[in-house]
This record gives sequence, structure tokens and C-alpha cells, in this order.
Amino acid sequence: MSVAATTQPAEKRLSLLVTVLAFALPVIFVLVPLAIFLVYSFFSVDQGTIVFAPTLGNYARFFTDPIFLPVFWNTIVLCVSVAVICILLAYPAAYFLTTLKGRWRYALLMLLLVPLLMSYVIKIYAIRSILGLNGFLNKALVALGILDQPSTLFVFNMNAILLTLSLLLIPFAILPIFLSLERIPQTLLRASDDLGASGLQTFLRITLPLSLPGVASAASFVFVLAIGDFLTPQMVGGISGFTFGRILYSQFGTAYNWPFGAALSVALAIVVICAILIGERFGRNRGTSI
Amino acid sequence: MNALPRPSTIFLAAITTLVAVLLYSPLFVPIVSSFFTVSHGNVDWSSPTLSTYVALAENHDILAALRTTLIVGVCTVVLSVVSGTLLALYYHGRRSGRSILQFIIFLPFLMPPIISGLALLIFFREIGLERSLLTVVIGHTVFVLAIVYRTVLMRLQSMSRTLVEASYDLGATGWQTFWRIILPNLSSAMVGGAILAFALSFDETMITILVTGTQSTLPVRLWAMMRLGFSPDINALVALILMFTVLLCVLAARFLIPRQMATERT
Repeated sequence: MSVAATTQPAEKRLSLLVTVLAFALPVIFVLVPLAIFLVYSFFSVDQGTIVFAPTLGNYARFFTDPIFLPVFWNTIVLCVSVAVICILLAYPAAYFLTTLKGRWRYALLMLLLVPLLMSYVIKIYAIRSILGLNGFLNKALVALGILDQPSTLFVFNMNAILLTLSLLLIPFAILPIFLSLERIPQTLLRASDDLGASGLQTFLRITLPLSLPGVASAASFVFVLAIGDFLTPQMVGGISGFTFGRILYSQFGTAYNWPFGAALSVALAIVVICAILIGERFGRNRGTSI
Repeated sequence: MNALPRPSTIFLAAITTLVAVLLYSPLFVPIVSSFFTVSHGNVDWSSPTLSTYVALAENHDILAALRTTLIVGVCTVVLSVVSGTLLALYYHGRRSGRSILQFIIFLPFLMPPIISGLALLIFFREIGLERSLLTVVIGHTVFVLAIVYRTVLMRLQSMSRTLVEASYDLGATGWQTFWRIILPNLSSAMVGGAILAFALSFDETMITILVTGTQSTLPVRLWAMMRLGFSPDINALVALILMFTVLLCVLAARFLIPRQMATERT
């Protein structure tokens, strides 16, 4: 008892410290910066200095200026397309993984996820060289007779951004789809088989509907990562591939309008939060736990 | 799923191969270029060389950036593992306020890095903190904290309560229980979290570009070089980083995937 009595005040002090830390850390380094950022979106800039008087001018500009809304909309369409391409490629691959047994399944899954850890900047650079005028893609298309001569169709434009982002983000689609497919009870598939359904019928009526939550999560992951990316469009987009992230970034560089940049960030954050909530809403697995 | 007809299996295998080729093609290009001379998109297969690796060893700019990246990575790992574990221990089994604070911890991970980075940039300016490696470490820690926190919390939740109760029953104090029972049980999750945190920090680009001072980490250095094109020694660096990454992956898998799971499905 005496040991406990002497250690208890020390433990109390420690637990108080931990309590303070547990609340202070997230609040100071996450909540406060984001809150300041939000507040900045209500300021304005006059002749290169920031005016600290509240205004809705930045948001009014975003909705009325003919530049920003179309770019915003085009970027959303671009990122939805990226998500669709990723899912079309990732679904069959994830399905194939679940048909494998034991160690092979996880070894191959690992193999498809490893490229994620490879330097993002280097991958963008390498993909740019593959898509380029002298790149592998053009060489292959010419060799196959699809093109007469190398084309600039994939260099410094929206197509380049679309292809590069899709290539970079496929693993983020594979993982959630694989997890949802793996969770489907084998008994359901066997029951369907026993009842005389063909392989295709079983897939369309059992596997596909039960894996849709994984598809929803995958779509939301890929979309969020694509729309928040600045590096890829900046590096492969050239002049014509102008995305929302690039406009946002330019407000903190050449355009030097931090408050307006903050307002654009708020718009981006709202889209991202919506995408996450939609993914969460449809990403829940229902009825698979039998 | 076992009774798939042959053509569909072939189709699925073909798509999977295509995906693997697509995923690895951007890695393949620099690795080939690190051993062979490439000009105008044609590879000269006849003369393998290690000259790019020699050139890399003499590129002080890149080596300095690599050192900076490692310093930032180690500091980030220490900070995030200590605070992530503390947070996980604190929130484990506690209901009040947990979900909202958990949400805050996850925000920098969910938000696009450009938003987290800009928010931190303005924050550092408001509190008068000069941009330096310190701000980079803070940025990285905030970014990876969610991963470490989640990894440790999941291990805590799967840990049997009876272990702790037995320790108390046998007369151990809170401290003794913590050091001898809880921490050893968490250690592999902490190592796994640390590896993930390091990998994320090693490649973090966007936040770093925004909050770094004069010293740049490797991804930021590469980003700056990319406008002009890379010199051949960068390819050697890529090949080395890839090997290192695969090694990290294998290590992370060893610590994070419980042993039964790897064997039970065979």
C-alpha cells in the first residue's frame, strides 16, 4: 500500500499532463491553423497588403467571376473521370486477387500496393516522359499502326493530367474494393451455385451488389486525392491544363492574394468533405455479416 | 468464386497484369536508365554502366537533401510515435470528447495537403515562427499523426483486458502495468506505425514545399529540378530509393500483419 500511496500523486500529475496534451496538441496544431485559414477567407487585399476587415467579397468573386466556376467545374469532372478509370481497372484486378489462395493473394496485393510508396514526384516525371512526344506510349501507338506519327495528344494538357492521375491513384481503388470482395461470405456464392445460377448470374446478383460499398469508398478516395493534388497538374498540365489546385496555389505565389486563396481553399474543402461523406454513406457494408 | 469458367479467369488475369504493368512502368523507366544510356527514348542495351551511381555519390546537392529528409523523417517518427501513442492510450475506452478530437486528428490526413500546408503556413506566420526544418517537422508530424494513432489504437482495442486486470490482481502498480504489460504489447504496432510514418514523411512534398525555409528535403529538391529535367544520376537515386522502399514495405508487413492472418488462409 505504501508504494501505491507514493506513486499515486506522480501518476495523477502525469495523467493531468497527458490530458492537457491530448487536447492541446490537436487543437493547437490542427484546429487553430484551419480556423485562422477560414478567417483569412473573409479578409481582402489592397495594393499588396492584407486588409483585416471582414468581407464576403472573396466568395462573391468566386461565384461571379467568369474564370473560377468553370475551372472548378472542369476539375470536378476531371477527377470524377479519374475515379471512373481507376475503378474500371481496379475492380477486375481486385476480383482476380480474391480468386487466389493463401499467400499468393496477399503477395500479389502487396505487389500492387508497393508503387504507392515510391516517390510521387519521380513517378510524375517518369509518366510524363512515357506520355511525351518521344515517349513509350507514342512509340507503341505508331508501331501498332493506330497513329501515323507521334502525337502531342498526351503532352501538357488535360488528357495528360487525366492519365497521370489515374495511373498514380489506381492502388487507392484496389485496396477498398479488394477488402469488400474478400468480406463476402463464400457460403452465399456456394448457395447461389447450388441453386443453379451461372457464374455470371452469381456475379451480377451476389458479388457485385455486395461489393458496391467498396467501390463507393474507392471512388471517394480517388476523387479526394485527385482533386486535392497540385503537383500533377502543375507538372504535366502545361498552359491548357488549368485545374482548381493550380489557381488556388497561384493566389499564394504570383497573384499574391492570400484571402482569396483561402476562400478558394474553403470551396475545395467543402467538395472534399462532401465526397468523403458520400463515400462514407455508401461505403458501409450492409448485410454481409452472416 | 472458385468455379469460374476459364475465359473469365484469363480475362481477369490479363487485366491484373495490365494494371501491374501500368503501375510499374513509371518505376521501370528510371531504373533502366540508371544502368543503360538512353537518348531520344531509345535504350542502348549494349553497354550497361554504373556511372550514374558514381555521379550520384558526387552530387552533394542531392546528398544534402537526402540527409535533410532523413533528419526530418527521424524527428517526425519520434514525435508522432510518442504523441500518437499517448493520444491512443488517452482516448482508448474513453467516450466523452473522443469522437470530436479523433476527427480533428484525422483532418490533416483527410484534407488535401495543399489546404493543410497553407493553413500551417499562415499559422506559422501569425505566431511569428520562421520557416525552417522545425516547421517542416511540425507539418509532417501533424500529417502522419493520424496513422500512428490509428495503428496503436487498433492494437489497444484488440488487446485483452484480462492482461491488465491480471497485472493489477498480482499487485502491480499502474506504472508497472504500463511498462511491463501494455507497452510490450503495443511495441510491434508502434514499430509498424513508425515505419509508415517514416515512409509518408520521406515522400511528403506539398506541405513541405509550403512550410520549408531554405533547406529542402529530397522530394522538394527533385520538384525544383524537374522543371529543367533530371540529370542521369537521379535515376540511380530512384533505383536505390525503390530498393529501400521495398525493404521498408516488407518490414512494415511483418510488424503490422498478425502472424495467424498470413498463414490461416493457406
